[in-house]
Amino acid sequence: MSSNLEVEPGAASESVLVTTDSFDNFDHMSSSLEEIKNLNALAENDSNVENSNVENFDEISENLSINNEEDDFVQSKEWACKNKHVFVLSMAGKPIYSRYGNEDKLAWLFGVMQTLVSFVQSNEDTIRSIHAGDTKFVFLIKKPLILVAVSRTQESVNQLCSQLNYVFNQIASVLTLTRLNKIYEQRQNYDLRRLLAGVERLIDHLLDFSEKEPSFTLGAVQCLSLASSVRDNISSAIVGACSKIKNLVFAILLANNKLITLVRMKKYCLHPADLHLIFNLVQASESLKTAESWTPLCLPRFDASGFLYGHVSYLAEDCQACLLLLTVERDVFFALSEAKQRIVEKLRRSNCLEAINESLSAKEETCIVAGFPELRHYLYKCKSTAQFYQPSLTPPYTKYNERLTKLYKRAHNLLHCSTRPLKLLFEKNSDEAILAWDTRGFELYVVFEPLIDTNSAINSVGRLLNWIKKREEKLFHLNAPTF
Amino acid sequence: MSKNKDVELKNFFIFNSLYGPKEGEELKKILYYYPISDNADVQIKNVGLVEGIIQFTGTFKPSTPVNSLHTQKMRQLYFQPEKNMWIVLTLTLPTEVKGKDSSTQIEYLEDDVQDNVYEAVLKQAYYTYRLFWGTFEHTIENHDVGTLKTRLESFYKAYLKTLKLGHADILNVFHGIQYLPLDKLTFLKVQCFINSLECEYPEIAYTAFLYNDHLIWSGFEPKDMKIVYQYLIGTLLPANMEAELQGGSMPRNSVSPFAALHHGRFITGPTNLKTAKNVGKIPKVYLFASGKAESYNLVVYRALSASVCLFMRADKELSLQYFKDMDEFISPKLTAIVSDISEYCSKQVITPSNVPENAPRFIYFNKLNLAYKSTAHLDNKQTGNIACTKESLKIMADLNNKRSLLGHSSETIVKTMNDYWVVAKNSNSREFYVALQQKNASLIDISEEIKKLCDTELKGIFFHPL
Repeated sequence: MSSNLEVEPGAASESVLVTTDSFDNFDHMSSSLEEIKNLNALAENDSNVENSNVENFDEISENLSINNEEDDFVQSKEWACKNKHVFVLSMAGKPIYSRYGNEDKLAWLFGVMQTLVSFVQSNEDTIRSIHAGDTKFVFLIKKPLILVAVSRTQESVNQLCSQLNYVFNQIASVLTLTRLNKIYEQRQNYDLRRLLAGVERLIDHLLDFSEKEPSFTLGAVQCLSLASSVRDNISSAIVGACSKIKNLVFAILLANNKLITLVRMKKYCLHPADLHLIFNLVQASESLKTAESWTPLCLPRFDASGFLYGHVSYLAEDCQACLLLLTVERDVFFALSEAKQRIVEKLRRSNCLEAINESLSAKEETCIVAGFPELRHYLYKCKSTAQFYQPSLTPPYTKYNERLTKLYKRAHNLLHCSTRPLKLLFEKNSDEAILAWDTRGFELYVVFEPLIDTNSAINSVGRLLNWIKKREEKLFHLNAPTF
Repeated sequence: MSKNKDVELKNFFIFNSLYGPKEGEELKKILYYYPISDNADVQIKNVGLVEGIIQFTGTFKPSTPVNSLHTQKMRQLYFQPEKNMWIVLTLTLPTEVKGKDSSTQIEYLEDDVQDNVYEAVLKQAYYTYRLFWGTFEHTIENHDVGTLKTRLESFYKAYLKTLKLGHADILNVFHGIQYLPLDKLTFLKVQCFINSLECEYPEIAYTAFLYNDHLIWSGFEPKDMKIVYQYLIGTLLPANMEAELQGGSMPRNSVSPFAALHHGRFITGPTNLKTAKNVGKIPKVYLFASGKAESYNLVVYRALSASVCLFMRADKELSLQYFKDMDEFISPKLTAIVSDISEYCSKQVITPSNVPENAPRFIYFNKLNLAYKSTAHLDNKQTGNIACTKESLKIMADLNNKRSLLGHSSETIVKTMNDYWVVAKNSNSREFYVALQQKNASLIDISEEIKKLCDTELKGIFFHPL
């Protein structure tokens, strides 16, 4: 097996994404924005940044109708037994978000959660989690907010914590962390919901998204399969159209939750966690499909203190890939709009739109088609580029996708236990067998038919790694193009 | 220089919220609290937090009442053995000092304290109390809350001192019994002896027969037996062994083994029949397997390495003469049986200490009869005398915890960062854990090794083929 260690499909010397452990606390926020601005000697007035509002978000939250139905709902068994509740509150106990039920009706519950947190804090300690049978209560205290998950999903405390972190980042991405802190410095009792109209929908979507998508568990993104020449063409089309525009930090092209290409300013990288927020924004906002839009966006891992401004648009009626051009300039919409037009034209001429469409409509190969009948499914993550690949689902998981997700999450958790991490896990039961393997270069999770014996499992893994290696240029984004 | 700290007991308390519903009366809720160095305010605060957590979690209708609270620095475990009665065990997490002299940082090791292990410790604390005093409710009904408080105080003051928190591991989770397998004939002799004893003395409700720390026969439910077993091998027998080693009642300088056939004595009741003026102290115990509490007098007779535990119906008055008669009856028969058993054992038993250093170490547990066997532990005194790494035992407990998600049969093989292996097999309510310290082995080698081990150690035990 050790010989396979040399094969490390998808590895590249330079990565478009920052590569870190998916569980690290997001406390370390860089201050890239300042750097970029200073670099370009632009005397931006920072106070303006704080005044910018969320009104650019096109959808207004639904009316918070408070009626008796709501009352009954939050007291009902149905509400209590939801698979995963998520609550966000301020340090003072003010309700900000509840995944199910109206926050106002749950004010008492928010009060209890705040009390628990501050009670434990009074002993110079921090509450982490409570366990009761099948239910886990996970607390994440990220000043000035408290986030709580109540979950029956069998996910580990770390995994739930990481989801709460995403929720926090989603909020920070709309307001910036700096502004969030300032608000509560000024008024502890502030009702943040006033500023978060429309964001609830993003959080809802983010939670659904992070429960299902392996990318969140792995801390990686999946790329759209494209011939490397096509991907290079696309990248160079973007570079060509945008190289003259100053202060453009990232250009991201994505489709169907997969990355097509990412062009970046030299020296700056995007963290997968930030990219997940972008994916979420694009997925959750149907309105982006109809018109070009201009939106402020804070990427907390990149710089939590200020906004980037994004030109967001789909490439064309006949090509549903979404292009985001992120800049530090607040008033270059038209320049970016023109650049986008040039990019689309170029891509059309070089038949790249067709190639994208083709790849979008063709599903990834299943394990059987790829010549691995004993395999049901797998996840391969290349650590150095923070990218992963998975084949299409096959039965039984087309029907029981949730079970597969649970299986991966459990294996991932065992491998990444903070004090007892594991290198290898091979687990068989009457339903399936899973082999999870963590090496310096990659993580691999392979699900087999239940009756597989060890020899053939090892054999398949070796063949699989070679199979991926052969296709790495197509499956992964290996160049890290810059403007 | 190392200031690393092991897990420690922070507090332990028992309360019933109904006993002090009004403000200002909170102290009445508390039935027992350790340590006494915590003042009333602290006690009330701690109980308050637990009440808050019970209520908060109840809102979401979890499948069981709350089990535990994790914070950065401590772990709190909850157990509700009887209606409205809560027992709480709080531990300070072990710490590790990280970094160099200038910038040391204390890190709390949350994952080192495993809920399933310490939950078992907490439950055992209750069940051991219940063995001697019956349920809390029983005491309140027959006496009053004051009596319950006194009993809890005297029991737990001593009990908490005996906790070996640092060495608690997966064996606590199993809370199993070590059986001694015998050949048919010897086993039949034991059985005959017990039958004739029970015939002769109808006051005996149940009998258990132990040889050293191993159970050979028990006439009552394993559920009760495991509590009694823990008490016998953890407390009663070791105390008497010490007495014996110090030259107590054993005739140490007998001329020939055949000269002094009268080896036995009672270790509860009249311990020295020659000098006894009365029947001495006989512990009263409660068994619960029948569904309701039934009390018995526990009389233990010991000869050489064998202990015969007699559960006598509580309503029977026991006189000194009765014990003398029984001694006459038991002693010669038992002495003969013990020599048979020890002869058989000397041919069979391999003590863990003469197994080669890096041989696989295993733990086997059968949930149905609570039998366990461990070659990973060098004794069963919970002193940390183990033959594999502590980490392997922790991984075993991790895997045990995840077992329920895997269905009725499964096999898990893991490789740790230090390149050793832990394997867990689970089938038909039986669990088998192995720690292998083979650095350069491959997954295939380990699979082979496990197959071999199962063939030699688990002969005749059916594991679903996987």
